[in-house]
Amino acid sequence: MPAGRLLGTLRALSAGNVEFIVVGGLAAVLNGAPVNTYDVDVVHSRDAANIARLLPVLQDLDAIYRIQPERRLRPTESYLVSPGHQNLKTHFGALDLLGTIGRNLSYEDLLPHSVEMDVGEGIRIRVLDLETLIAIKEELGGEKDRAMLPILRRTLEEKRKLSQTPQQ
Amino acid sequence: MAEVAEPLTDYSEDGVDLTLIRWFLSFTPAERLQFLQDQIDDIVAIRERNASR
Repeated sequence: MPAGRLLGTLRALSAGNVEFIVVGGLAAVLNGAPVNTYDVDVVHSRDAANIARLLPVLQDLDAIYRIQPERRLRPTESYLVSPGHQNLKTHFGALDLLGTIGRNLSYEDLLPHSVEMDVGEGIRIRVLDLETLIAIKEELGGEKDRAMLPILRRTLEEKRKLSQTPQQ
Repeated sequence: MAEVAEPLTDYSEDGVDLTLIRWFLSFTPAERLQFLQDQIDDIVAIRERNASR
């Protein structure tokens, strides 16, 4: 597996001009929360033009569904336009393409709640903001989501304190 | 009289290590991504060395 896998996935999506927002554990990390995660979760725009840009990127990444990997099932347009979740593995690792998250929130719903970040090599991506990430995890209320909430809440508090500190 | 040691930790009421958060917040997003990647690489390497356990 190539080095720099997380950045490799983001680089491929970005280079393909795919419209997406990083969510989940990686969004938490990029927002400054010290948590661990092993996959890249993104909500993609389900607009037809975006799906047309996304499909060749997935082909280049050799993306197949993680379920029954021996069948090497590849994501198709009809799956990618759906609000469901596509749990894929690529040559850069695990990639989850999420049509919607939380209470059916789409890319368009989440866009105003995302921030642009530079993740290296001049790659700029959109990342869900910490406030929205916390709100969605509070709504979901699953055990995994609840476990991460204390760290996310305290990170948000510390970020707010930092933003109120006068710059020297 | 014994000197009382200065507390050198800072935890929130719900047990979150605030020093870790402050340290991580001092990184740029690119540095946070690299930090996570390095951690994953280290964990995978340890798992591979202990695959039979």
